[in-house]
Amino acid sequence: MDFLADGIRRALALLFSGDAEVFSTALVSFKVAIFATFFACALGIPTGFALATRRFWGRRVALTVVNTALAFPTVVVGLVIYGLLSRRGPLGGLGWLYTWQGIVVADVVLALPIAAALSAAAVQGVDPRVRRTALTLGASSWRANLTVAREARFALVAVVTAAFGQVVAEVGAALIVGGNVRHETRTLTTAVALATAQGDFGFALALGFVLLTVALLVNIALQALQGRGDRGRA
Amino acid sequence: MGALELRQVRHRYDGRLVLDLPSFAVPDGGKVAIVGHNGSGKSTLLRLLALLERPTEGQVLLDGVVANVQSRRRVTLVEQRPVMLPGTVRDNLAYGLAARGSRGTEVTRAVGATAERHGLSPLLDRGRHELSEGEIQRVAVARALALKPDVLLLDEPTSSADRAAAQSLFSALQSELDERRMTVCLASHQLEDAYRWADDIRALAEGRLSPVTPENLFRVDVPPGPGDVTKRVRVGPLEIAVMTERSGPAILAVPAEDVLVSSTPVVSSARNVFTGKLTRITQHRGAVHVTADMGIELVAAVTPEAVRELGLAPGATVVFAFKAAAVRVF
Repeated sequence: MDFLADGIRRALALLFSGDAEVFSTALVSFKVAIFATFFACALGIPTGFALATRRFWGRRVALTVVNTALAFPTVVVGLVIYGLLSRRGPLGGLGWLYTWQGIVVADVVLALPIAAALSAAAVQGVDPRVRRTALTLGASSWRANLTVAREARFALVAVVTAAFGQVVAEVGAALIVGGNVRHETRTLTTAVALATAQGDFGFALALGFVLLTVALLVNIALQALQGRGDRGRA
Repeated sequence: MGALELRQVRHRYDGRLVLDLPSFAVPDGGKVAIVGHNGSGKSTLLRLLALLERPTEGQVLLDGVVANVQSRRRVTLVEQRPVMLPGTVRDNLAYGLAARGSRGTEVTRAVGATAERHGLSPLLDRGRHELSEGEIQRVAVARALALKPDVLLLDEPTSSADRAAAQSLFSALQSELDERRMTVCLASHQLEDAYRWADDIRALAEGRLSPVTPENLFRVDVPPGPGDVTKRVRVGPLEIAVMTERSGPAILAVPAEDVLVSSTPVVSSARNVFTGKLTRITQHRGAVHVTADMGIELVAAVTPEAVRELGLAPGATVVFAFKAAAVRVF
């Protein structure tokens, strides 16, 4: 039990002393999470809308693929992205292997099915008369979708939260694609894995606290956003 | 202009045929009512006419031209149990105007005028949770009329309204029609509304147009057997004698004009004779509709003279008689 108490003491000391290593790692993690969540939601939410509102050939297959993709093992995705971004791979010319951009690509692939599947479910939960009413009042398809999104805003905020949660907690793909390069691609999760392997339990715990704090702050911010919407006229 | 037409339309949901209309037209400026039971296809038909769904087979034409997404802006549907879009009544009245490109003061002026006209001014700043069902329906009609559509489609517009509210809705529609040309197509299961208001009534049953007037339509299960033998078909507690080759699920129609009304049973060739209580008497363009409760509600069309001579009044005992050959099964 002593090592646990020592670890917590060390973690608090690192956090309150403003340790450069901890904050550099947190910064990389935050940067990767923000970009990956943005791109995953920018692609996934419209995909979810299309799956929920359009009737097209192969829609059921597409839904099955998206739902299956929810269970993609992160290391497998990491391996595939590694293959694509490696020097001999089709995207090797980008030079993104062992960069934070490479981790963003892998995280987008992992979070996109979450954004698509959950937003499809969110849109399907909206009364279909809302979209029909918008269309019959002369709204374009785009404007009608915005009206539906407004109706499903609470569920869509939950979609963003879930995508962010997937990205910020991801370790396997980030380790394979990013390479855990100090100050460059070392995220909070990969740094925790490394520190634990090296027996530096206090440092690992400090990083774990930061990770939890980041997740907590983002969730508080998103809940505040939901709360503000709730107070307005529904 | 605002003439809508369906040509060779067949519409399916998950492979199930829900609408089969070789031809259906609503003339420019017409006031058409579509009547039928719940599930007869009225709402589906209105959604096709509103260009919100594309028919599985066939075409929808607006003013003789195959309609496209752009045509949708000329046609507005008020759904049965309409929904309020997010925001206040004011936001809802403004929604379609803004979607059509109107801006700022133009929208504000139009919203104010519409609210004034439909008595909605006190409700302008209310959200949807602060409105009753009847108020939502009024807002939905006003929201549609604010756009001055060429064609207005109304699905059961009086379903959440009491008689006074229904009267006020029809008055508002009429005053709009007095000012400008507009085609109106209304779906209802209430024949009284249709007869009082529309100048053309079509009956829909199981997704097809009924060949007879819309009263006395029933879903039945016809027993098997040859067509030259009288079959007895159960409709609620009654057994109605029919002559038909059909068997299985079908629609049974008793034309109101073919029902003979008397105050006591008379000896005749009619195979169907039922006794019941007269529930109401309504005027329909010269004819009088006498409705009686025979275990099911049956309607007979008679002349005003017959009503006077027989002393018909609500509560009286009446006998309805009609021939098996008069009953249509389709």
